[in-house]
Amino acid sequence: MATLDILSVSVIYAASFAILLVGYLAAMSSKDVIRLLISLEMMFGAVFMALIPLFSIAHLANAAFGIAIITIFASSGELLILISAIVILDRQKRDIHTSAITIGGDRV
Amino acid sequence: MGSRNHHSMSADLLVLSILAGVAVLFSLGVLVSKDNFYSSLFMSVTLIFVAAVYALLNLQPVFVLIVFIFVGAIGIVTVALAATYRSEPERQVSRFWIVPVVITAFIISFSIYSYALFNPQSVSPTEIEFELMNFLPITEYLVLIIFLISLVVLLLLSVLKIGIGGRS
Repeated sequence: MATLDILSVSVIYAASFAILLVGYLAAMSSKDVIRLLISLEMMFGAVFMALIPLFSIAHLANAAFGIAIITIFASSGELLILISAIVILDRQKRDIHTSAITIGGDRV
Repeated sequence: MGSRNHHSMSADLLVLSILAGVAVLFSLGVLVSKDNFYSSLFMSVTLIFVAAVYALLNLQPVFVLIVFIFVGAIGIVTVALAATYRSEPERQVSRFWIVPVVITAFIISFSIYSYALFNPQSVSPTEIEFELMNFLPITEYLVLIIFLISLVVLLLLSVLKIGIGGRS
């Protein structure tokens, strides 16, 4: 890959932070679980972006690829579980709003 | 020659900034849009632009993984779900959340600072391609990937079991 200078790394980290922030805001303002799912995917997108500078370090390049694979598979697995949970929630409660979830989680 | 290198570096930085900026703009679209369907579409485009940064830096395997698995599989299911459940949620943001935001900003700025401080050795283009080519035949990683896939299958099976149990 092309050599990353400090400016490129700053751009990547700043964009990653901005996407993460938007993901947080979307999660906080979500009233239904679909929007929560979308915001979680945004947060994972920010994580993928934050991984990029790892590839520019010589002795970490191989490990970075392993970390990227694990992150992509683990996040995909988590989101699949959440999608299944949404379908089950809709089947049981006939409602996908976060207010319908009464067990677990925290009240903000 | 040095001048040409400098120009290509600045062009790379410009393209990188444009890609990152467009990704951030589309992510703002997720927040602004009140319709779940359009939010999910904006989210997919954001992730494609994040993957495009990988493609720009010549890391095509990761680009393919993100676009095919994350956007192609999970993103499309999300779009389909969002198209099914379209609703217009109201805003509710507590000021208390400024604390985790500040902590995250601090951690990220520290990583930028430490990157500048330690100035890690950069990789030549041929070296990283060679290392990526040699990555997949390593048995340990293959075992790890198979383990991850079986873990996902097991988790899905358990969710299915909960779903069937809940229905009956």
